[in-house]
Amino acid sequence: MKDTQPQSGLRAARLLILGLVVVIVVMGVALIVMAIAGPTSTPEAGQVDALANSPDECVVCHRRTSPGIVEQFGHSSMAAAEVLCKDCHEVKADYPGAVEHEGTFVLRSPTAARCQQCHVAEVAQFNQSRHGLPAYVAFAGAESLSADLLQIYQSIPEAAPDPNRMRNSLYALEGPDVTRFACEVCHNVGLPAIDGSIGQCQKCHLRHEFSLEQVRKPETCNFCHIGPDHPQWEIYHESPHGIAYETGGESWHWQAAPGTLTVSDFPAPTCAICHISAFGTVGTSHDVGDRLTWYLFAPISGRRPSWEDNKIRMQAVCLECHNKEFVDNFYTTADAATEAVNQWVQQSDQMVAPLNDKGLLTSQPFDEPIDFTYFELWHHWGRTAKFGVWMRGPDYTQWHGAYEILSDLAELRQMVDQKLLDAGMGP
Amino acid sequence: MYYLAIAFPNIRRWRVPLTRDQLMLLMAATNEIFLGIDIYLAHSISGTIVPKEWIPIIFGPIAGLLLLVAGLIAIRRRPLATALATIVFLISIAVGLLGAYFHITRAVLPAGPVGERFTVDLLVWAPPILGPLTFSLIGLIGISATWVERPPDSGDLILLWGRHVHFPYSKTRALIFMIGLGSLATVISSVLDHARTNFENPWLWAPTTVGIFGTVVAVGLAAVNIPKRSDVLTFIAAMVMMILVGVLGSYLHIRQNLTSQGIIVGERFLRGAPFLAPLLFADMGSLGLLALFDPSEKVALGS
Repeated sequence: MKDTQPQSGLRAARLLILGLVVVIVVMGVALIVMAIAGPTSTPEAGQVDALANSPDECVVCHRRTSPGIVEQFGHSSMAAAEVLCKDCHEVKADYPGAVEHEGTFVLRSPTAARCQQCHVAEVAQFNQSRHGLPAYVAFAGAESLSADLLQIYQSIPEAAPDPNRMRNSLYALEGPDVTRFACEVCHNVGLPAIDGSIGQCQKCHLRHEFSLEQVRKPETCNFCHIGPDHPQWEIYHESPHGIAYETGGESWHWQAAPGTLTVSDFPAPTCAICHISAFGTVGTSHDVGDRLTWYLFAPISGRRPSWEDNKIRMQAVCLECHNKEFVDNFYTTADAATEAVNQWVQQSDQMVAPLNDKGLLTSQPFDEPIDFTYFELWHHWGRTAKFGVWMRGPDYTQWHGAYEILSDLAELRQMVDQKLLDAGMGP
Repeated sequence: MYYLAIAFPNIRRWRVPLTRDQLMLLMAATNEIFLGIDIYLAHSISGTIVPKEWIPIIFGPIAGLLLLVAGLIAIRRRPLATALATIVFLISIAVGLLGAYFHITRAVLPAGPVGERFTVDLLVWAPPILGPLTFSLIGLIGISATWVERPPDSGDLILLWGRHVHFPYSKTRALIFMIGLGSLATVISSVLDHARTNFENPWLWAPTTVGIFGTVVAVGLAAVNIPKRSDVLTFIAAMVMMILVGVLGSYLHIRQNLTSQGIIVGERFLRGAPFLAPLLFADMGSLGLLALFDPSEKVALGS
């Protein structure tokens, strides 16, 4: 039989040979192309302009009148997902806040209700967070809230320390000409909208690119979380996590798919990794308090409701890099430091109490030096010390925190004694 | 032609309780159901499923169940079962084409400036342009399995209401050719998906290599009128490799989605490496092996 001859042996393996030849040729071509192209960075969805020459009438017109936003949106993942301008902006004529525009009705600035059309879970989480109504109430008070909003507000854990009662009178003192450029800019992250929805998603997710990289970078949080009252931006940069970001962050995977992040994407955490992103065994949450154990912003910090659960979630992030013993030890010592700061603030309260009891303080807020010293002790230095502890910024714990508290305590003691002396009551 | 018997002559002694076409239909029904689940997961990634994205999610399980019902009906009323299965598979083809259209419109910019209408970036980052065609492929394979070829290998298919159609190739060769097309679509989808990671992981070359080999061997075998034993053995080896690479891929995707402590987190599975997608390789391999079964209908199927 010819089949047994060497010649027909080759012919017998014709399919195998054909298959192998094609594999070798295709893979060889692929390798040559890759070698010629050289090492390329991972392409990203945002590199593509999904609106290039789009016939959409909004795009056509706004490319002339406001080309910047069209360019931004064209490179967004939302445009790539076929989200149109009108999906967010266009509303019915009777929609609260609707304005007539080129034969239709639009919202100039889409509200969270519009975002909620697609991002249901994110908006629900946000509404239960400090960034929701508590942020707004902290300067505007709860009086302006509708019955529905008040009910939502009272259901939020962050409302427990009562930011409505705690709100400082500086807001009223400074007046709207100043505060619209100050307090309101940040605290309006929780501004109720005319359509009944809450908050301004665009405070963090800058329009119109809605870039993952932008919202994940600490610079975004820096917009508000900076300065003497909550210097998280400064503390982060002093911390080992911030040093890792400063020195190697440019190679991190800022556009990695949400929900899939690992230490190979982010070898060290940013604000978003610890507080929002899915990382380790913890899922994404737009409730920024979901992993926190203390109300650090309060004068005397108390435990949050379900703080034990929150702790497990935050520690799940820590455990991606640190061992359990390290993390547990850190929490034990940081808890002790928090309580130490609490005691100093309690001391300041006890010092001032006789002045309140005896009516030796003026009825006007912030009109005499002792008001500022008492306020700064907890609002600036107390918070800074606690944030420094939890975010690993030793200089902020020490010189911008604990040292300033001790200094203010001494100053406060002197001021209280002097007031009592002036009133003939003696220290 | 009983291809499997060419490779293993002794296999003629074995009797499988179901015919090749019945097994194919069972696979098609399973495919429809799993496609619905897989697409539900894929369309859930954005957190929102828009109305048109529900079409395959709803159709898949319904189609699968209808096919199972058709399988039961076939025992007594074959023509009715054939009609039902044909309708389901025709819709499946349409759903696949419609899905491919929706995905392709995201991958090309027909109105875009020259140079931006069709780019690698768009192809890589768009929804899988060939993914929905799996519905069409299953539809085609299903219809082929539904319509009886009499006599076997004649290319004469009995359609509904006793009508006949003649193809120049046997049903077996047509099935093997379609497996080749399916393998090609699978490997292209895999390459585009893995291109998002720049093929940094060497494991990513495995499905590419095996997929190309499986495609060439399947199309090659379909092109041969009288295959040699070595041809069939090569095809079997290619299909087994497809199955192995599919199972391995699924395992690697699952491992990728576990946390560092080996814990399952739903969000990571939803948004991470798609753990069902590699099984398409295994699916093609299994269908390829099934195509080699005895094409004659020796099991009584009722009237």
